[in-house]
Amino acid sequence: MDNLSQLIPAVLNDHVSAVEFPARLQAHGEQKAEAIARYGAFIGSEIRIYPSLGRAMDQARAHIAGCEQNGRSVASGSLILASRLDSSKGRFQRSWHAPLGGLWGCLLLADTFLPTFRNILPLIPGIACCEALRQEGVPDATIRWVNDVLVNRKKQAGFLVEGFVSPIHHEQYHLLGFGLNVNNEAFPVELQEDATSLSTILGESVNLCSFAMSFFAKIRWYIGLLFYEEAQWLERGGHGEYTDNHPILTRWLELSDTIGQRVSFGYDVVQNPQYEALVTGVTNDGGLILEHDDGGVSIEHSGEVRY
Amino acid sequence: MSEEIDFDEILGKYHSDPFEYVDIFAEHTGTVRFLVEVGNDVEAVSGEWKHIPGTALYEITRERNPKKNTATTNGVVSEVYSGLEGRFVEAGEKLLTIRHPLKKKEIIERILQEVLIIFPAPERAKYFFAPDVQSRIEKKGAREVSVKNGDEIIIMSLMKRDTPVYYSGDPGVIHSVYFQPGVSVDQGAPLLGVCPADKLPLIKKIITRVKADWDKSS
Repeated sequence: MDNLSQLIPAVLNDHVSAVEFPARLQAHGEQKAEAIARYGAFIGSEIRIYPSLGRAMDQARAHIAGCEQNGRSVASGSLILASRLDSSKGRFQRSWHAPLGGLWGCLLLADTFLPTFRNILPLIPGIACCEALRQEGVPDATIRWVNDVLVNRKKQAGFLVEGFVSPIHHEQYHLLGFGLNVNNEAFPVELQEDATSLSTILGESVNLCSFAMSFFAKIRWYIGLLFYEEAQWLERGGHGEYTDNHPILTRWLELSDTIGQRVSFGYDVVQNPQYEALVTGVTNDGGLILEHDDGGVSIEHSGEVRY
Repeated sequence: MSEEIDFDEILGKYHSDPFEYVDIFAEHTGTVRFLVEVGNDVEAVSGEWKHIPGTALYEITRERNPKKNTATTNGVVSEVYSGLEGRFVEAGEKLLTIRHPLKKKEIIERILQEVLIIFPAPERAKYFFAPDVQSRIEKKGAREVSVKNGDEIIIMSLMKRDTPVYYSGDPGVIHSVYFQPGVSVDQGAPLLGVCPADKLPLIKKIITRVKADWDKSS
């Protein structure tokens, strides 16, 4: 059921107030939870939904450029959604099948993050999706470094972040692209072995708008938490390296099954696997710690793994 | 960049002291314990994937969490600030110096880096040429590819976050490429050396002269 058109900012706000915020309140206490919610409230403040697009990222770039040309400012936190994407792609120009039934789009974020914390941003969509899936009754949902979401070793969702500098004012943006297989069950032959969808897992279709709200509410929470942690760090002086255990990374570790796996690593691991190693942990900025067979250790902040 | 280069002075400097002095600084605050002494040989990080650590230089402990720091360059320890042994140091405090012997290729690179416009890595990440630049390099070779201020030349890739990097500096052609696709580059390390087109003959002259001089004297 493609009822995405029901997803408007007010509906998302209601969902956050009624469902997401109360669930977070107990773990964080009222004062902290309210501060985090305030920091993240701009996510989904504007939602644009299209019947179809080529690539949501391209639409986001055109939207930013159009706003600037017309003398308007861009609403950071805007969501661009499409019922289907006709020329979507993943990283390395890999094809991404995005027919009706899935949740496809792009979150547009002005780059107001401190450099120290930018590495944490790509972890957020994987966490949000994994939590939404578990809440929907998929306890086996897990994250493969950096942010692929897998269920029974098949990919249910993928994310990428692309930088963009606006053409007139040269403001920097992060475009967070997302593709979640929700009610779309048919995949091209080359993806059938590796891809799955939520409805395939559950054996029934789900309410796309409700699932999208759950996902975006969690994105909103974790973006808020990212800004909250930045503020806390700045209050402590904000000097040097951030060496704390970032709560977003802690949550990522709880949801990921990558640690302890023997993996194949490569920048483009499909086309060019570089080496095999054992994942022994992550650094406090999200880098993967890999132990080689000869005892040597690599720390990778870029690339991908398969296992 | 001057047309006139005093080759004798530059080469004389490297002949008389063919070393680079690499200062090692405290990575973060903590109590420091040295693991090397003046005169010790140290090995650089090695292995196909740069996964075998170099010689352990010092250990720094903060909140009962000791961390060994290892050499990324080979050479001989020429100075140790041994007065800091067992003491609490601030991040960035100078701890020791390694004297690294320079090879001919390194000397040429260092001289070139003094005269080229060096474009450094903004963050520790992996870097790739932007698709348009990559296709121009494949067609014509890097030294035929010109760049100017504001051009998107490189993609920085970090944690599945791909960010365009824009060239800032005087226009010129890409003379030296210091990164390899898929290999991490430290923040501040050179990515590209750009040369104004009309200065290319001078650069060629430097390379020819250093090679000839070094071969003659070694």
